[in-house]
Amino acid sequence: MSEPVIKIRNVHKHFGRIEALRGVNLDIHEGEVVVVIGPSGSGKSTMLRCINRLEEYDKGSIVVNGIELNNPHNINAVRSEVGMVFQSFNLFPHLKVIDNLTLAQKIVRKREKEQAIEIGMQLLNKVGIPEKAEAFPGQLSGGQQQRVAIARALAMNPKIMLFDEPTSALDPEMIKEVLDVMSQLAKDGMTMIVVSHEMGFARAAADRIIFMDEGVIVEENTPQLFFTSPTQKRTQDFLSKVLQI
Amino acid sequence: MEKGKKDAPNRELSFVTGGEVNIRQDPWWWLVVVVAAVIILLVMLRPVPFKDIVVFAKDGILVTILVTVVSYFLMLILGLFGGLGRLSKNKIAFGVSSLYVEVVRGIPLLVQLIGWYFASPVIIQKLGLLLNFAPFIEYRANPIITAIIAITVCYGAYMSEIVRAGISSIPRGQMEAARSLGMSYFQAMRYVILPQAFRVILPPMGNEFIALLKDSSLVSVVAVSDLTRRGREFMSAHFNPIETWLMVALLYLIMTLIAARIVSYIEKRAKVDR
Repeated sequence: MSEPVIKIRNVHKHFGRIEALRGVNLDIHEGEVVVVIGPSGSGKSTMLRCINRLEEYDKGSIVVNGIELNNPHNINAVRSEVGMVFQSFNLFPHLKVIDNLTLAQKIVRKREKEQAIEIGMQLLNKVGIPEKAEAFPGQLSGGQQQRVAIARALAMNPKIMLFDEPTSALDPEMIKEVLDVMSQLAKDGMTMIVVSHEMGFARAAADRIIFMDEGVIVEENTPQLFFTSPTQKRTQDFLSKVLQI
Repeated sequence: MEKGKKDAPNRELSFVTGGEVNIRQDPWWWLVVVVAAVIILLVMLRPVPFKDIVVFAKDGILVTILVTVVSYFLMLILGLFGGLGRLSKNKIAFGVSSLYVEVVRGIPLLVQLIGWYFASPVIIQKLGLLLNFAPFIEYRANPIITAIIAITVCYGAYMSEIVRAGISSIPRGQMEAARSLGMSYFQAMRYVILPQAFRVILPPMGNEFIALLKDSSLVSVVAVSDLTRRGREFMSAHFNPIETWLMVALLYLIMTLIAARIVSYIEKRAKVDR
């Protein structure tokens, strides 16, 4: 296999006395879709946020796309290659949808206004809401907002997309529309790391599932093997609780 | 209640299309009209002394407006940097801005004004003697410039706290989203955080303008010929304290009332834009 696009080595992170990450090791290869699951407080989101350094880690190293993250001067270079989608969407409420999509294109990628709008409209078509270009985020449903947020991240042509519980803040009937967009993205060959509680999505779209608990990766496997024959006691307990519902 | 509900869509529409100030939309304009009418009536019906006061104090009104507007815009800039400093992770920026806010906020404006006017020239002259630098030795304080500096420094401290509170009120996710798109800290501030914070701090910013307009009367103690000082001069010449201070008070009132209406108009515009 080729060189991994993300290499995480022995990463530690603590918040005050709480150890959020206690030695995480992970390789992600190009085009891979990895779903990270685990109980709350297990360090899933913290690990994800370390990959574009929204969270600084105390020990270890992360290499993204060949760029060493330990050097703070590399942060913006890495961030423009890594798109991130948040649980709470974090659209810019003072800007129209289309301006949400073009702002960073113009000031970070230095694209002309017309080109940025063209790319923005293409992506709005892709996520299925071109008619909302002139609306403000506050006028959209949660599902629509999250789709705009995905389009906004894609507008920067990232090589990797990170999803931090993208459907956790959504009403049940809106979850599907967001997962559909994500599945399509996975089919298109995007490298994705998804922190999620959506077992159905994990089973259908993931190449690999990672189970985290207490700041370490407990188990990783293909969806098939992960759900049918988990090897670790901790994984079995978690799955028996989650899949019962 | 019902009437208010009916009016609401109308008001929004009219702001989108025309956006002109309308008495019906903002009934407090009536108060401005009433105070203006009182001033005009007094001037017309009793030209002596009311018209004389207005004519005598006319340049004072201009000085008051000049000092207020210039100090206001300078203190906005100072407050922006002060507020950013208060939120900075950089220890020096945080330390300097915090010390500035804490010290300046705790000293009365009047004391600061007198200090800038009487103490700072002496320091500069002493410094000039020490360095044998002629322009410093012959330095004389310019009253208006000194007054503007003093007010700017003082109000900049209050403004720093307003800016800090406004920026803090924007959810952390906004900065994270902007940074995750590759924007630098300053780009994120400029395009994402400050435009949102601006809407939050508009009402206190308006308040500061009105407070500053009134506090500008303090500059009369440092030889600035503002409205208050001209009033005092007129009173000493004509021995009519009641008429003089009635008219001076009315002139301040009409200025602050107009300022308040403009502030409320800008606030409404900012809300409808969302």
